[in-house]
Amino acid sequence: MGNKADVWQGTLALMVLKTLETLGPLHGYGIARRIEQTSGDLLSLNYGTLYPALLKLEQEGYITSTWGASENNRRAKYYELTSAGRRQVKKEAADWEQTTAILARFLAPAEEA
Amino acid sequence: MRNLPRNLRAFWVRLYGIFSPARADGDFAAELESHLAMHIEDGVRSGLSRDEARRQALIRLGGFEQARQAYRERATLPFLENLLHDVRYGLRMMGRNPGFTAVAILTLALGIGTTSTAFNWMDAVLLRPLGGVTSPEQLATLVSLTPNGEMVPNSFPDYKDFRDHLKLLEGFAMFRPAAFSVGLGDHAERVWGEFVSGDFFAVLGVKPEVGRIFAPEEYGDKPGAFPVVVVSDRYWRSHLGADPRIAGKTIRVNQHELTVVGVASPEFHGSIGAVAFDLWVPYMQRSVLSSVEPWMLHNRQDRALLGIARLKPGVTIDQARAELAALAQRMSVADADTNEGMSATLLPLSKSPYGPQGLLAGPLRILMGVCILLLAIVCVNVANLLLARATVREKEFSTRLALGAGRWRLARQVLTESLLLTATGATLGIVATPWMSRALQLLLPPGQLSLSLDTGLNLRVVAFTAGLCIVVTLAAGVVPALRSGRAELNSTLNEGGRSGAAGRGRHRLRSVLVASEVALALVALVCAGLFIRGFERTRRIDPGFDPNHVLLSQFYLATNGMNLEQRKEFCRRLRVKMESVPGTVDVAYSDGVPLGFEPSWWEDLRIEGYAPAPGENLKIFRNVVSPGYLGLMKIPFVEGRDFTEQDDEKSQPVMIVNQTFVRRFFAGRNPIGRRVHGWGEWFTVVGVASDSKYHYLGESPVPYFYVPFRQIYRADMDLAFYVRTRHDPMTVLPALRSRVREINPAVTVFDAVPLAEFIGASLYPQKVAASLLMVLGGLSMLLAACGLYSVMAYSVAQRTQEIGIRMALGARPADVLGMVVRQGMLLAGIGLAAGAVLAFGVARSIAAVSFTNSAMGGGAKLLSSTTDPLIYAGAAAFLCAVAALAAYLPARRAASIDPMQALRAE
Repeated sequence: MGNKADVWQGTLALMVLKTLETLGPLHGYGIARRIEQTSGDLLSLNYGTLYPALLKLEQEGYITSTWGASENNRRAKYYELTSAGRRQVKKEAADWEQTTAILARFLAPAEEA
Repeated sequence: MRNLPRNLRAFWVRLYGIFSPARADGDFAAELESHLAMHIEDGVRSGLSRDEARRQALIRLGGFEQARQAYRERATLPFLENLLHDVRYGLRMMGRNPGFTAVAILTLALGIGTTSTAFNWMDAVLLRPLGGVTSPEQLATLVSLTPNGEMVPNSFPDYKDFRDHLKLLEGFAMFRPAAFSVGLGDHAERVWGEFVSGDFFAVLGVKPEVGRIFAPEEYGDKPGAFPVVVVSDRYWRSHLGADPRIAGKTIRVNQHELTVVGVASPEFHGSIGAVAFDLWVPYMQRSVLSSVEPWMLHNRQDRALLGIARLKPGVTIDQARAELAALAQRMSVADADTNEGMSATLLPLSKSPYGPQGLLAGPLRILMGVCILLLAIVCVNVANLLLARATVREKEFSTRLALGAGRWRLARQVLTESLLLTATGATLGIVATPWMSRALQLLLPPGQLSLSLDTGLNLRVVAFTAGLCIVVTLAAGVVPALRSGRAELNSTLNEGGRSGAAGRGRHRLRSVLVASEVALALVALVCAGLFIRGFERTRRIDPGFDPNHVLLSQFYLATNGMNLEQRKEFCRRLRVKMESVPGTVDVAYSDGVPLGFEPSWWEDLRIEGYAPAPGENLKIFRNVVSPGYLGLMKIPFVEGRDFTEQDDEKSQPVMIVNQTFVRRFFAGRNPIGRRVHGWGEWFTVVGVASDSKYHYLGESPVPYFYVPFRQIYRADMDLAFYVRTRHDPMTVLPALRSRVREINPAVTVFDAVPLAEFIGASLYPQKVAASLLMVLGGLSMLLAACGLYSVMAYSVAQRTQEIGIRMALGARPADVLGMVVRQGMLLAGIGLAAGAVLAFGVARSIAAVSFTNSAMGGGAKLLSSTTDPLIYAGAAAFLCAVAALAAYLPARRAASIDPMQALRAE
């Protein structure tokens, strides 16, 4: 790993969904930016990672895409959560929190044991 | 994110993506474009120069092409897409080599079509359970076993014991096939049906289409109390006008009125696979319809009933069999006078010894084996063809490898192409299957029963063929596929344009194929040869009587409502009338026909002065014959006299025994005047007849005896009438018809055939095996010869250049010829040696298959000898000749080429 971590697939999907939930409809560039910023620039996303992930989510019916115009009047493809996607964010987020909580206990200082 | 519906949705979207790749591609390019542009704009906004912003964006975002590739892989199903690509490419290659394609497809169609046909036959005769019954997997055939372990039908009292005492059976029904004559007087028509126990339909779980099946009050065992009948859907439509209100109407069966209570469901044809029956009548009605005396229905000796049992759910056939064996054991003690030493067992329906399946089981199994052999030869042939093509395409493969194609990808390409060939062949084959399947009708015995063989395609046959298709693809395609992936890049590309100078490895591979081709062909040829010789040898066995110039006619007088006395009288009068017909030499009649299809009956004997060993089987086969029967058959008398009309109901019972009987029971001493007990009476032996064949030509001598028609003939016996003529027996048929009508206009002569033809039936299983194997053996040999020739020719053609060099260096054409032929023969020799070992093993295992397991002629084998040296030598010599020719012809062509030309060839 370099100093900028690559994202792994499962978590990327959740990041994308969460981003869309927070910001509403957004294009790929915007999603990438947002994820990088939120991670405090610790993550770096390239096309080959981001777009197949978006496509997968779309194929699974969690997001839909439409072509629209960007802030500075550029044609861009906008992604939007579907209702299934909205449900999925909640479920995934809950799962993830549980997982991290469990892991946190394992990684907690040994004095508790 | 394991979520099946979501994954499935994604799968469909991706599948759809395969068919619109260009649009998705363009779309994505535009999306990337806009992404990049936005990134650059941001860069510019943050103060970078436009070029610098672009540079950083590109670095940040990774390769354009890789992204597109990753996207594409997600957008479609790469595996399927590649497959489609391979298929398209394969089709193009097939189209470009129509000759190769046609040969390969036809060979495959032949192999697969034949094997599917054989499977279809097995399916129709052996595997398909009875139509129209519920849960056929719980049904089993119940047979009694003689002390020798032979299978025989059951008696009615035995049936009742089994039915009432077996706890593991849900039900047990029995049936007896019979001919009925339906209609009035001389308009009567013969219809085949079954006498059945009342619970027959209930046990089988057959539903009525119209009306009802037999009700529990019709399950009783009072003779003559149930004048009812259930008819088949087929008969209802063809003869009763599909009358929906048929229930309650009557039809006239054997001159008695029977009330139709219902019509069985259309799929139901009766309780014997592949045979169609039209009427079902309660067994107790047999006393009326066939004038069988009521006490005989309740006689434990009258073993005329076939049994079918339904196991309770969860009970295995082994458990039920054990319970049955224990009960039969108790019965053999309790009813020792009739059942001593007898036992009983259950068989799966598919193993039932009755009906066509009993006869065809052996031959069909062997047929299947031969088909697999044929298929193996086809596989070798196609593998050879593919390999030869692979050699030609070596450059293509090398080029693709050089351009970065994976080896697995190439192998897959080759496999796809062989799959295409096989699938096309299989499709052709399966189209031909129903058509070829009809040939089974020709192979069935010349019986009088009507057959219901549905030889159309069903799902099972299609599935079988599909499976076959995959197996053949792998068998024929794997080796060429592996080789294609192993092409040595450097060596091939560097061979300076010399296409396919066969490398050592490939050469060795082809040698193996040639040798195996020879081996397989030898097996096919030897097996066919052994069968045909075995058949010929059996056919030449002297049956011990003379069936030529004899007309045989079987009568079903019971169906005309005649009682026993009237029937005997009918025979006597017909005999007298026929004797005066010009051209007639001799007239006689009997119960059983020798070497016929019908079961033969036996009697439990006690022989004065002979102490049987404990458990010794004294159930001796017999025939009930008229005076003059032995003379008509030309069975010589060794001692004593024939029966006469004076040996009648009132006189002392008499008996004629055969030589084996004398040897076994009278220690070879003069038996005339000795006494034998059977049918509750003491018989005096008055004559000794020569041994002859009774059930199968191949049977070994068995004790046998004859009793007079007048004394022993009973209502449940058959009647066969023989007329020996001076010339063609069929010439007296019109006379027979008119004489019969003079005596009783209601009697119709249904089946009159020359006896010589009729007894051909005893050869039937062997004949089927021999004729099928002859066809298939010939076919395999033809294929193997073609394969051998093409491989040899091809490998010689590959060596044209080498031969040119040899000749340029001074080899004479004769040297070249000798070398090529020698090498070819060496391979053939190796193949023959392997084939001989294989053929011997195969023949040994076939010889273990006995074609009948019924009580008569048990142990008669389909194959008499497995080591006929003449057959082995002949087959080997023939294949040597083919191999020599296959090597010689191309070698001569190669040797006749001008060396200069050969060297310049490329």
